Amino acid sequence: MFIPKKHRSTLVAVVLLIGAFILLTYGFSRPSETGVLRKLVLGTAVPIKQILNVPLKGLNSLWDRYLFLIGLEADNRSLRRENDVLSAELHQYREGYLESLRLRKLLDLRETFPHRTVAARVIDRGRASLFKTFLIDKGTAEGLQIGLPVLADRGVVGRIIETSWYASRILLIIDENSNIDALIQRSRAQGILQGAYPAGAHLKYISRKEEIQPGDAVVTSGLAAVFPKGLPLGVVTTASRQEGGLFQRIDVSPAVDFGKIEEVIILIPTRQEREER
Amino acid sequence: MSGLLLLPVALLMLVIVQTTALDLLTLSWIRVEVSLVVVIFSGFHHRLLQGALLSLLLGFFLDCLTSPIFGLHIFLYLLIFFLARIAAERVYGEKPMLVAALTVFCGLLEGLLIVLLYHWLLGANILSSMPRFFIPKAVLTGFLSPFIFAILQHTEALFHAKVPQPSRSLRSE
Repeated sequence: MFIPKKHRSTLVAVVLLIGAFILLTYGFSRPSETGVLRKLVLGTAVPIKQILNVPLKGLNSLWDRYLFLIGLEADNRSLRRENDVLSAELHQYREGYLESLRLRKLLDLRETFPHRTVAARVIDRGRASLFKTFLIDKGTAEGLQIGLPVLADRGVVGRIIETSWYASRILLIIDENSNIDALIQRSRAQGILQGAYPAGAHLKYISRKEEIQPGDAVVTSGLAAVFPKGLPLGVVTTASRQEGGLFQRIDVSPAVDFGKIEEVIILIPTRQEREER
Repeated sequence: MSGLLLLPVALLMLVIVQTTALDLLTLSWIRVEVSLVVVIFSGFHHRLLQGALLSLLLGFFLDCLTSPIFGLHIFLYLLIFFLARIAAERVYGEKPMLVAALTVFCGLLEGLLIVLLYHWLLGANILSSMPRFFIPKAVLTGFLSPFIFAILQHTEALFHAKVPQPSRSLRSE
């Protein structure tokens, strides 16, 4: 049969494709059948594949390890970030917890007084100042006035010396301008506690005859009508009788650690108390 | 004659390397099908029977080593070879963009035909493997095909100890 030359390649292509398609449909109908040629190819290829696999698997595991290390670095970075966030959160929670403990103590303290109390936060300590004062975030808007006593959980902090609508300044008991009527709790000897920063405070006008011992508690006497009676002021650290003097020299360590105060309460006298004064 | 004897060995080695080394070294979900580029290259450079034989052998070896259905790659590679021949007769030269585009097209056609053949002959729906497997493979193979073409041209030149041959469309059959 004569076939023109220009159609010969088309014919070859069609024949080959039809043959391949028949082979394919046969392959689909018997997928599990392995012919001799296939077995031969597989038998030849498998050992070569095994030989190739040895260095390639090593290379591949090296690559996997490299990818793993990259992943590890990314994980590490992510975990560090997470750790920072969690640490910050933990820090906040811890701060909140400690604040709640302090506020709990203040709450316990305010429940012991018949006065109306106002809790305030210390917003400035005035460390560099000559005067030992604190600034708090409550003022006349909350009913605060000059002269009101300020307490912390351990004892007396000082008294208000200046107020504005939303802030007040407290004169601490360790400032040299601070003078508070006080007494020794054990002996009931009465004197004036004067601030003596940085030593703390001195208890003045205590007679030489009084037996004062280190460790004796010093409390408010309640006489000047500023502080209620019996509030802790500090403890005696040294007591000495100076020659020729009438009084003893008594050093007092304040009950309150002024470096750590963050919240205070202010006692506001009742109407009856104000009238009595 | 020695070339004719060496051809099956070389093609088998190519398929082994493709199914072993490239599979191991590339990502698990993406493959490079060098054999497809060889078939297209053959469509551009070889005579009808020579190219058809090469495609048939490549398809056969791939069927033996990878395909559960015997004859699948034989049919597909023959079809792609003839398509490449038709394309080679209609274009002037082998611009990298043309080679890449043709490879992507043939790769997608191969995937689509496999999906359709599975559907017609086995009643199986493997359409989901198109975007997951065939499209990435076609794109990556297309991207690499100009480089593979250049390597094949130089290899052929070395083998024949002469300068690289121009496209078959520029030569007289």
